Amino acid sequence: MSDTTDVEPKSESVIERLEDHLPARDQHSAPGLLPGEVSKHPTPVQYVTIAVVLVVITAIEVAVSYTEGTIPNGLIVVLLLGMAGVKFFLVASWYMHLRTDQPMFRRFFIIGSVAAVLLYFIVLLSLHAFLEI
Amino acid sequence: MATTEQLPGDQVPEPAADAIETDETDADQSMPAELSPGELVPPHGGHDEGGHGAADQHTGLVNPKLGMWLFLSSDCLFFGAFIATFLLYRDRAGQSGPTPGEIFDIPFTSATSFILLMSSLTMVLALAAIQRGDHRRFRVWILATALFGATFIAGQIFEFTEFTREGLFIDTSVFGSSFYVLTGLHGAHVSVGILWLMSLWGLSTQNRLPTAHAERVEVAGLYWHFVDVVWIVIFTVIYLIPN
Repeated sequence: MSDTTDVEPKSESVIERLEDHLPARDQHSAPGLLPGEVSKHPTPVQYVTIAVVLVVITAIEVAVSYTEGTIPNGLIVVLLLGMAGVKFFLVASWYMHLRTDQPMFRRFFIIGSVAAVLLYFIVLLSLHAFLEI
Repeated sequence: MATTEQLPGDQVPEPAADAIETDETDADQSMPAELSPGELVPPHGGHDEGGHGAADQHTGLVNPKLGMWLFLSSDCLFFGAFIATFLLYRDRAGQSGPTPGEIFDIPFTSATSFILLMSSLTMVLALAAIQRGDHRRFRVWILATALFGATFIAGQIFEFTEFTREGLFIDTSVFGSSFYVLTGLHGAHVSVGILWLMSLWGLSTQNRLPTAHAERVEVAGLYWHFVDVVWIVIFTVIYLIPN
């Protein structure tokens, strides 16, 4: 390999062939990111902030559950399910990094959770569960 | 990059991207001359020197994380079945034994829910610590996560004991059956998570969990946070929503 000019065309050809076969992660991930990440994870301060929000929502949930009898049960159910949904979303997007990871992971989880809700909602409807409750 | 020795049928290691950009001669040396273009990258699998499980797959997705997300996706349906069963049977007329409104202790369960939420915080702090190479803090946070989980399980055992004292056994009524099976399965998930976290802590104490393997912590964290989000749903649907 003493003559660089002789080697260079072959090397360039190898590089082109290699780049064609590189996994997509090398095209998406920047230095310092874990494999599968599209952007940086949240900072510890952001993690603590999310935890404070989760605790506050949980406290409100418990408080709302004690209002039974003073406000309609239907409203309580809607409020509680709404707050649980917000907590679910916060944990999944910030702590499970669905915000910053590759979109395919998000799609898998959404498909699974939405399929579960739809499937069992239909099952409960067909068994008249909501009339019993 | 040194020339690797090829065994018959062996796979060709994936060359590092920086080698391609900076050292063309090295890149050339890593490719045995007799390889055809189709053999530049093996069709399946490859050596995973970084421990990320990401090497040499063509989807661009990381295999351990992909596997965990697929598992969690299926686990959604698994827990959904038991939550739906509980909703179906909780208020069926003619059941013997205590009713949910008579035995649930909301302040106590709120405290255990708070503990589980805090365990999610310590879990992400553990991941952040190992990602920046702070292994001492990683061990502290991962141990705190496991301890929070163990406290949650202790609370669940206490709760079950109290319920049995008040006459609710797994065979007392369909409410009892669906309640114990659902919350017991969740507790089993938490217990598996604790074992997983302790194994990571043990590996770290033996210096066998380098920063390059931080993804192992992330995958364990995905499982742990999933257990947390399932409890968010259980706590609301089972305990808080009025009868």
